[in-house]
Amino acid sequence: MLKRGYLTTAITLSLLTSAAIPAHAEISIMYMESFASLIEEGIKDFEAATGETVNAIKLPGQGYDQRIALDLSAGTAADVNLIDSFMVSELASAGYLAPLGELAAGWDQYQYYLPGLLEVASYQGEVYALPTDTDVRMLWYDKSNFEKAGIPMPWEPKSWADVLDAAQKLKDAGVQYPFQLPAGTKQAEAATMQGVYMALLGADAPEGDRNRLLNRETNQWIGDSPGLRRTFDLYYQVYVEDELNPADLNYATDISAAVRQALADDKLGILASGSWEDACLWDCNNPPSREERDAQVGWTPWPGSGEPGTKPTTNISGGWTLGINANAADKDMAFQLVTAIFDEENFKAWTLANHRMAVRTDISDSPEYKEDAFLAAATQLAADTTGRDTVPGYQTVSALVQQATADILDGAGVEDVIAEYHDALVDEFGEENVITYE
Amino acid sequence: MKNQANPWLTSNLFVLALGLLPAAVLIGALLYFTAWAFAFSFTDLALVGRKAVEWSWVGWENYERLFTRRGFLESLWTTVIFVFFSAIVGQSVLGFLLAASLRGSRSTLRSVVEACIMLGWLLPDIVAAFLWSATTSQTGLINQLIIVPLGFPPVNFINQYALPVVIIANIWKGTAWSYLLFSAALDSVSREVVEAAKVDGATPFQRIWLVMLPIIRPHIATNMLFITIWTFTYFPLIFAMTGGGPGTQTQTLAIFLYNQSFSRGNLGFGSAISVAMLVIVGVLSLFYLRLLREPK
Repeated sequence: MLKRGYLTTAITLSLLTSAAIPAHAEISIMYMESFASLIEEGIKDFEAATGETVNAIKLPGQGYDQRIALDLSAGTAADVNLIDSFMVSELASAGYLAPLGELAAGWDQYQYYLPGLLEVASYQGEVYALPTDTDVRMLWYDKSNFEKAGIPMPWEPKSWADVLDAAQKLKDAGVQYPFQLPAGTKQAEAATMQGVYMALLGADAPEGDRNRLLNRETNQWIGDSPGLRRTFDLYYQVYVEDELNPADLNYATDISAAVRQALADDKLGILASGSWEDACLWDCNNPPSREERDAQVGWTPWPGSGEPGTKPTTNISGGWTLGINANAADKDMAFQLVTAIFDEENFKAWTLANHRMAVRTDISDSPEYKEDAFLAAATQLAADTTGRDTVPGYQTVSALVQQATADILDGAGVEDVIAEYHDALVDEFGEENVITYE
Repeated sequence: MKNQANPWLTSNLFVLALGLLPAAVLIGALLYFTAWAFAFSFTDLALVGRKAVEWSWVGWENYERLFTRRGFLESLWTTVIFVFFSAIVGQSVLGFLLAASLRGSRSTLRSVVEACIMLGWLLPDIVAAFLWSATTSQTGLINQLIIVPLGFPPVNFINQYALPVVIIANIWKGTAWSYLLFSAALDSVSREVVEAAKVDGATPFQRIWLVMLPIIRPHIATNMLFITIWTFTYFPLIFAMTGGGPGTQTQTLAIFLYNQSFSRGNLGFGSAISVAMLVIVGVLSLFYLRLLREPK
């Protein structure tokens, strides 16, 4: 089964490439559909400038992370790849990505990238990918349903109790998905970032990284802590004890389409997600007008749990990047494609139109960006953000976190879930790399 | 008569070897991939990261974890239920009943039924998954057409009955194969034998149970062999419909293997799961192959 997966991928891709290879060397790029308006404009510019043809492989978001990892490890990946930023260091540590330092040195726009974001896409001091956007996370809510449930707006919850209380009111008012908190393996990274990590950061005091998955000072994964227990207990309350949300949206055939549909049908109460939803709740590449969006939804920062010493609001940032395959035949040309996509004119227009958070100072300092109310508010939120634990091993830990939330959906208690999570961490990283907080 | 090979071939060993080459390559590839999975099931090989290149041997650890960690046994049980109800009971029995009841009739009814069940089989898995998700959703066809008109509140099927829903979807999807196979098998049962039984006073049920079934026994075993193997490792429909969820309600071994190998990125453990699946399917196949033999 496993081998068959490999083999099929290899055969399919080699067939695809061999069928498409013209006389001269061509260049390929793989990306998610939700980034089409950024990447396809760049491809057009690149083709016009060089006369080359680009083999563009556009994929849906579902299962994209697994596909990238599999293609790169099987040696069948495209020359340029859109990669979730958390995977970059791990892919680089396996030697799958080309270092960009030398290539980028000759590019005049490289200087504008925010150093902190380049660091996320680095491994052992070398940059391996360039960021497309960053983000912040928040709780979105459907205004009409809040009105129906009699919850005053603007909604400003101060603790988890306030959120659960609102969810209960929404449920009583007959809203089908009162609190869509991403959970389970099909949500993949969304369950970890939009759900678990946002809760975990506010579940315990930040000292000693008690509110994280990793102790960043000692590089040890946290297998058991009050923060983790409270976070899993929040999931337990939402999905099992108080049944504040049915689980099925997390397992829809196309999750983001199902969430969009639920919003359109007025079935959504609160949605734990991120800043990209300002466009993607409708259509990532073509959102409706500001007024239409504001009339339908609002957002509020994720509150902390309310436990003593915890942060009042939490936030964690991710984002996507473009990286070059270590096996790319012509890396200079691949980088040229990357620069065409990231060329200021194209990049800035996309960032503004899609309400993405800028990753370059030349864009973030522009008057158009500063004048945008949503982006200004999101940038404010970003002042107190943190990043994922983008060290090798994070992808595995993230998958184990997703598994833990799936077990909760099955009705497993917090105690069981924590024990299983701890043991799995020890399996993967060894006893010496896993710690417990009392 | 002695089995005589073509004399031209036997005198041209080179041509013979050349002719065997594709088969040898195929067998070699099959053995290579199986051996690969088997060997790496004793390692901590990872999909990405340092362990993707610097893996090490870990002995039986991965196999121990099949039994000491949550996941494998639960998924095995889900798989057994899925295979038993969707393939063995659903597809096989339904396929046989359809084949037996439509046997001999050349009516339009038969053509219509055949076309309908073939549609399910021909539809790509992903399309079928979307279709079933939409049909069983809270605002889907089943609720709109049956549940709500009868005065019941709408049911969120995937949320409450995920496993039954994927089982029914798979029965719908796969019955055509069993139907076609049984229909061909029943056509090969000679009319005289059945008529003779009829003359001897056998009831319709006896004619099926005591006459036809024993004659087509090898076909039944072959059918069981096929559908058990491919339902056991079946992936796309469930993956697209539920991804193994909600929670792990529909997490069959194939989905579990995918999650462990490609989401968690532990190819070593994934290989151990695939070897375990190979063994289980192998044992089942031996059982069916024994059924295929004529009784002494």
